[in-house]
Amino acid sequence: MKSEILYPGAFPMVRVELAEGEHIKAESGAMVACSPTIDIESKMEGGFLGALSRKFLTGEKFFFQTLRASRGAGEVLLAPTVPGEIVVLDLDGVSEYMVQKDGFLAGADGVTIDSQMQSMSRGLLGGEGFFILKMSGKGMLLLNSFGAVHKIELKPAQEYIVDNSHLVAWSTTTSYNIEKATSGWVASFTSGEGFVCRFRGPGLVFIQSRNPGGFGAWVRQFIPVTE
Amino acid sequence: MSFQPNALCFGDEFSATGLPCLVHVEGHGLTMTFLSDSDASERRSESVPFAELTVSAGGLDHDQLVATWTGPTGQRTLYLKNPDVIRAFRQAAPDHLTIPLERAAEQVRQVRQRRRIVWTIVGGALLASVLGLWFGSDLLVELAVDRIPIEWERKLGESAYRDFLARQEVMKEGPAVAAVTEMTHRLTDQIPENPYRFEITIVKSDVVNAFALPGGYIVVFTGLMKKAERPEEVAGVLAHELNHVLQRHGLERIVKQLGFVAVLSIVLGNPPGLGGVMKQLGVELMTLKFGRAQETEADLTGLQLLYRAKIDPSGMITFFQRLAEKDEGRVEWLSTHPMSAARAERLKIELDLLPRREPVPFSFEWRTIREK
Repeated sequence: MKSEILYPGAFPMVRVELAEGEHIKAESGAMVACSPTIDIESKMEGGFLGALSRKFLTGEKFFFQTLRASRGAGEVLLAPTVPGEIVVLDLDGVSEYMVQKDGFLAGADGVTIDSQMQSMSRGLLGGEGFFILKMSGKGMLLLNSFGAVHKIELKPAQEYIVDNSHLVAWSTTTSYNIEKATSGWVASFTSGEGFVCRFRGPGLVFIQSRNPGGFGAWVRQFIPVTE
Repeated sequence: MSFQPNALCFGDEFSATGLPCLVHVEGHGLTMTFLSDSDASERRSESVPFAELTVSAGGLDHDQLVATWTGPTGQRTLYLKNPDVIRAFRQAAPDHLTIPLERAAEQVRQVRQRRRIVWTIVGGALLASVLGLWFGSDLLVELAVDRIPIEWERKLGESAYRDFLARQEVMKEGPAVAAVTEMTHRLTDQIPENPYRFEITIVKSDVVNAFALPGGYIVVFTGLMKKAERPEEVAGVLAHELNHVLQRHGLERIVKQLGFVAVLSIVLGNPPGLGGVMKQLGVELMTLKFGRAQETEADLTGLQLLYRAKIDPSGMITFFQRLAEKDEGRVEWLSTHPMSAARAERLKIELDLLPRREPVPFSFEWRTIREK
């Protein structure tokens, strides 16, 4: 399985080459085009209850689509819904990543997707809700972001502070605490940051250069209010 | 043989993702096997004696075993997650590591236990408050409603009211408007310390309905007026709706729903958040259904209001009964005000308890208004 990112920047697309018999699972609706040798199947990853919990708890789609090169090698073009970069990660069987609920685009079959409950403070204040996706296993993982993706590499015990709505994915060897952006409560909110996450290495943190919630609020003011 | 790493090793010369490695626990310490960077088939190993290790719990959920030491190439950090390796490590570790290992294990247990306790408490509290809000515990709702100023209630109701009227054909003047105004004045004059400024609008529509919005906004459809044989019947509906406002029934419903939805949206990390919930509620105000207890309260207080205003209260009862009997399924008023025989019976009993009083008729001729 090989992948190549086409048109890198705000409106990228990813081309995945599948050998005969290989398959990839993608977010429902992510497929843009594919070779005629590819079969598209719809699958509820993790069974009905797993899919149901994913749908209701993380806001991810109920069905994943499976794109299978059952009648010979072929290629698939995939794209996310929102404008923004795509990152390719290669899971090695040991590294695991937590992914914010809209961040998953596609993954090789060896990649396992679970919804996981966060701790109380992280769930309440982190802005991702109580349930996020955990990616483990082996193989290629494609994530998408809103805006550009920035990778932060943390050495052991190195710290970095990230605004909580800019998170895309982070490795499970990192840990983070949620804290106020400034020392005072009022200033925390008037500064526009509210809560931030203090990450501590080692590991990787992927952040997105735009905040989807902030963008939504900005767009909302231009929508004419008519019924 | 394929390489099956079971741990991640971090070090100054490795990338921040960490280097996957295969850890073996041996008698003297740990041996890590790495794949060579340049050639995937080549392997190299590093060993570290137990004596040089320090251990702790770490990782996102504090559930990984972290071993650190200073090797010849600088600081090394090893993240172990595989339960078999951790078990082997704990068995083989010499005495000086037993205490830190136990401490790490204790830390993991504590984190898990604390999380379980916190979730149990919060889960219990959530469940209790949701159940409490949903079933019966109206005390909590009433306490919350009491703290909401009338001004807010008015704004909430007004936006929904204007939105609704903008899409309807409104009757601005004429004998029907005068008649409804007279009825309203007769009724509101009898309300002591009325904090509301009632606004009543007649909407031209064959729908047999009338409804009240929080803040004192009442809409009566011409369809309902056509169905009424006597003006006292319309006055009965008005008295009932006025009391929904006075008892703040709409607000109670909203607080109930808002409480429920707010809790849900926080738990599920709903992005539109409370703003979206409020907008949603604006729509739902129109289809607001009152509870059975609220209907009964509005009935009884409405009846007393009619009595005080010297309007014949039997009009209210007969109108409700007639609507329920003849037009079941077609009268919208009944879908938001479910009618039952028990409700009418209750009103009759209540009416019988009141001392007889000669009603004062209205100044207008109902028949001519109805025909128009």
